[in-house]
Amino acid sequence: MSSEIPLERIRNFSIIAHIDHGKSTLSDRLIQRCGGLSQREMSEQVLDSMDIERERGITIKAQSVSLNYTAEDGQEYLLNFIDTPGHVDFSYEVSRSLSACEGALLIVDASQGVEAQSVANCYTALDQDLEVIPVLNKIDLPAADPDRVVSEIEEVIGIEAHGALFVSAKTGEGIDELLEQIVEKVPPPKPPEDDVLRALIIDSWFDNYLGVVSLVRVMSGELKPRQKLLAMATGRNHLVDKVGIFTPKAKDTQRLGAGEVGYLIAGMKDIDAARVGDTFTSADHPAEEPLPGFQEVQAKVFAGLFPTNSEQYPDFRDALEKLRLNDASLNYEPETSEALGFGFRCGFLGMLHMEIIQERLEREYNLDLITTAPTVVYEVENNKGEVLNIHNPAQLPESNHIAEIREPIIQANILMPQTVVGDVIKLCIEKRGVQKKMTYLGNQVQLVYEIPMSEVVMDFFDRLKSVSRGYASFDYSFLRFSAAPLVKLDILINGDKVDALAVIIHKEASQRRGRELTEKMREIIPRQMFEVAIQAAIGSHIIARSSVKALRKNVTAKCYGGDITRKRKLLEKQKAGKKRMKQIGRVEIPQEAFLAVLKVEK
Amino acid sequence: MSQLHFSEAIPLSLYIHLPWCLKKCPYCDFNSHAQKEEGLPEERYVDALLKDLELSVPLVWGRTVSSIFIGGGTPSLFSAESIATLLSGIRSLIKLSPNAEITLEANPGTFESEKFAGFAAAGINRLSIGVQSLDDQQLQQLGRVHDAQQALTAYETARSAGFTNINLDMMYALPKQTQAEAEQDLEQLIALQPEHISYYQLTLEPNTLFHKYPPVLPEHELSAQMSDTGQELLASAGYHQYEVSAYALNDKQCRHNNNYWEFGDYLGIGAGAHGKLTQPALQQITRTTKPRQPEQYMQFMEAGNLETPQVVPEQDLAFEFFLNGLRLNDGVTTSLFEQRTGLGLESVAEILGKLRDRGLLNDDPSQIQTSETGRRFIDEMTPEFLNT
Repeated sequence: MSSEIPLERIRNFSIIAHIDHGKSTLSDRLIQRCGGLSQREMSEQVLDSMDIERERGITIKAQSVSLNYTAEDGQEYLLNFIDTPGHVDFSYEVSRSLSACEGALLIVDASQGVEAQSVANCYTALDQDLEVIPVLNKIDLPAADPDRVVSEIEEVIGIEAHGALFVSAKTGEGIDELLEQIVEKVPPPKPPEDDVLRALIIDSWFDNYLGVVSLVRVMSGELKPRQKLLAMATGRNHLVDKVGIFTPKAKDTQRLGAGEVGYLIAGMKDIDAARVGDTFTSADHPAEEPLPGFQEVQAKVFAGLFPTNSEQYPDFRDALEKLRLNDASLNYEPETSEALGFGFRCGFLGMLHMEIIQERLEREYNLDLITTAPTVVYEVENNKGEVLNIHNPAQLPESNHIAEIREPIIQANILMPQTVVGDVIKLCIEKRGVQKKMTYLGNQVQLVYEIPMSEVVMDFFDRLKSVSRGYASFDYSFLRFSAAPLVKLDILINGDKVDALAVIIHKEASQRRGRELTEKMREIIPRQMFEVAIQAAIGSHIIARSSVKALRKNVTAKCYGGDITRKRKLLEKQKAGKKRMKQIGRVEIPQEAFLAVLKVEK
Repeated sequence: MSQLHFSEAIPLSLYIHLPWCLKKCPYCDFNSHAQKEEGLPEERYVDALLKDLELSVPLVWGRTVSSIFIGGGTPSLFSAESIATLLSGIRSLIKLSPNAEITLEANPGTFESEKFAGFAAAGINRLSIGVQSLDDQQLQQLGRVHDAQQALTAYETARSAGFTNINLDMMYALPKQTQAEAEQDLEQLIALQPEHISYYQLTLEPNTLFHKYPPVLPEHELSAQMSDTGQELLASAGYHQYEVSAYALNDKQCRHNNNYWEFGDYLGIGAGAHGKLTQPALQQITRTTKPRQPEQYMQFMEAGNLETPQVVPEQDLAFEFFLNGLRLNDGVTTSLFEQRTGLGLESVAEILGKLRDRGLLNDDPSQIQTSETGRRFIDEMTPEFLNT
C-alpha cells in the first residue's frame, strides 16, 4: 500500500520528450519492469489511452501511474510517474504536471537530437527547480549518435549531459540503471510546512459512471473520503467520495498524504469544478493562498464548425457538450453562416488541439463537418474607443468604424540544422516575422522571431516542415497585441458574398492573396451547368477575379446491357459527393474550398 | 407488402453472354476473358447456356421472346456451327417471335468475317461490328487486333453474306484525337451506309488498363465539340438519333436495346449475364446474375443450379427506369412508367416537376422527355431519383 512508504522514499517525476522520441514505449517499459501490469494486461502504450493519441503518438491528456520499486539499496520506493502532453498547444497543462514533480526525465532520440518542444518544456522544468535527468533513447538504432546528441543537449539546453543515460525502451537496455538514477537523483518531496490541505489539480476528466475524476498532487495535509473540499479558483465545495492511485489500474487507498499523487472523486458533475492548476483545500480549515501558477484557459485559435447536413445539428451540439465534459479548454458558441447554415464557433488552444477535436467529432460521433479557416483573436478599437475581441472575420466592423486593429504577436523559437537556416529565415520574413536572436549551437541554429500569430495558424507548421525537410522544430508563446493595417478580404461567388470564406489579412498582402484565392477557388469548384464567377473584394472594391467555365455536357457515353448496378453505384457516389457540397445560390461548392483559404501554395 | 400493379404484358428479350476475346482491350470493362491457348470450350459452354435457359424457362412460362442479343466478349470467335446449335436449342426451349431480331456482336478480323455467311445461315439477322475507328494508329492504341482495311473487308463480307441490318460501333475522343480526325473517321464510317451506328465517347472505366495508365484524352471542350459535330454529320446523312449514342436509318433502331431502355424484361444467360424479370402475380420486379468466371459458370450450370432472383426494392424502381428512359431522345410516356414499374406517377411527380422547373425536361405532361439542354445533362438528372 502506497501510504506505508515514507515521504523520503517517494519520487515524483515526469517525462519531457518530443513526439516520436519514445516516451510512451519508455513508460510502458517502466510499468512492466516494476510489475505494474502483468504481461497479459500489458497492451502497448498503456498511458496513451485515446485512439487518436495512439495513432498520432501524442499524449493529449496527462495521466499518472504509481509504481513500487525495490532499489539496489534493498529499500522499496514509490515512483509516481506523471505523464505530460507533448505539444505546444498544451504548454500550460505541461507546466502544471511539472509543478507536481520534483524531477523530470529529458528523453532525447539518440539519432534525431534535441527539438524545440523539448527545449521549451525543459526550461519550464528548470524554472520550477526540477532535477532534470537527460536520457538518450533509441540507442539500439544504427543511426544513433550519442556523442553528438550529448553535446547538443549541453549546447542547446545548457545542462550537464555527460553522465546521460543510454537506453533503449524497445530492447530494455539501460532501464534498470534509469530506475536507479530516478531513485538517486530525483529529490523526495519537501516535507510540508504545515498540515493544511493543499492539493494541486494536475488533470481532470469525466467518467460516465464516476463523474469528474481529478488527478492531484497533495502538497500538504491529506485527502480522505468524506472530507469537505473547497476548490479555490471557483469557490465551490465538494465532498470527497474516493481517493486512490493508478497502478496503472485504479486502486482505492482511503488516503492520499503529502507528497503523494493519485486520483480524487468528489461527486463533481462538470469539469469546470476541478480546473487544471486549481488548488483543493479543506472547506473547514482552508489554506490562505492557493498554490501558485493557476491560469484560466484561453482559446487562441477559433474556427467555425458546421455540419454538412443540417439535420446533424442537434447531434453536433450533443457531441460538443460531451467533449467539453472532458476538455475544459474547448469552448463553443452557436454561429449562423449564410453559406454554411447553423454551426458553432469553437475556440481551441492551438492548431493541433483543433485538429484533434475535429477528428474526434467526425470519428467518434460520426459527424460530417465543414471547418472554416482558423483565425486568431483580434483586438478592434472602434471610433467610440470601445475595444472588441473579434474571433470571426464576419464580425469585423466596417472599416470606417474602426480606429485600430491589433493582432496577437507570438515569440517563435525555432531550432534547425545550419543547412536549412536560409530557407527558414525566408519563410519567417514572408510571414512578417522580425528576427530577435540567432544563435549557433554546434550544428544547430536557434532562431527567435516575433511573428503575427495569424501567419502561424495559416500554414506555418506545414511550410516549416517542408522548407526544413522535417528538420526544424518549433515552439511559441504569446507576447502581445500589436497594431497593424489589417483588412477583411471577401470572396464572392456569382455575386454572393460567402461569409465563411472571408479572412482578415494584412493590407499589403491583400492583392496577392486575392489573386491566389480566386485562382484556388477556380481549381476547386467543379464545372457546373453554368459559368461561375469568383471575385475577391475589400469592401466594395473588387481586387481579383476568375471564373469556372460552364460544363458543356454530362452524360454517360454508353449504358448498354443489363447490369445497372455499377452505374448505380457511380451515380450514388456522385450524389453523396454533391451532398457534401454546399450550395451558394445555385453554385455547388466542395468543402475543401472553405479550407483553401489556409492552403494557398506558393 | 409491395403495392406494385402490373396491368399489361411486358416484352421479353434474351441476352446471351459469350465471355471470350482474343485479348482484353485496355478500355473495356465488360466481363471478358482472354482466350486460352487450348482454344474455347465451345460445346461445353453452349450446353451450359442451354441448361441455363432450360432452368430459367419456368420464370417466363408462356411468354414470347421478341429479340436475342449475343454479346461478349467476342461472340464471333465461336464457330457458326456452335451458334446454330445454340439458336436451335433456344427455339426448342422457348417461344421465339417469328420476326425476332437476333443480333450477334462480331470483331472485324479476317478470321471472324469468314464465318459471317455461316452465322446468317444459323439465323442471325443483325450483325453488330466493333469497328471503333478507321484510323490504324488509333486502332493500335486502343489495343484492337484488327486494322482499318480488315474492318472495311468485314463490312463488305457481311453484306455479301446477306446481312441487311448491320450496326457499326465507333468511338470518339480517342487518345490525342483532333477534331478533324474525329470528323474524318466518322465520315468514312457513314460512307459505308450501315443501317445503324453506335457513336460513343471513349471513357476511362474503373478496372481497366486505361484507368490505371490513362492516355491523354481530348479535354472536355473538345470532346463536347466532337459530340456536337458527330450528331450533325450523322443527322445530315439521314441517321436519326434515338438514344445518347445510338443512330439509325429509317426504322432500323435496335429493338433489343430499346427494350432495355424502355425497362422491358430480359433473361440473361451466360457468364456474368444479368437478367430482369417482372413477376406481376408477386407484384415484384427481380434481377438475376450469373457467376462471372466462365469455368465457374459452366460448373454452376452443370450442377443444375439456379440462382435466387433478387427483388428490386420498390424505392429503387423509379431510378432504374429513368436511368435508361431519359437516354431516349423521344423519352417515355407517363403510362409506360406506370406500366413498367408498377408505380403510380405521383411517386415521381415532385422530382419531375423540379426537373421541368430547371428546364431539363420538356413541358408535355404525358411525355417525359429531356429538353435540348437536358439531353446534355442526363447524369445531372438521374441521381435525383436515387433514394439516398
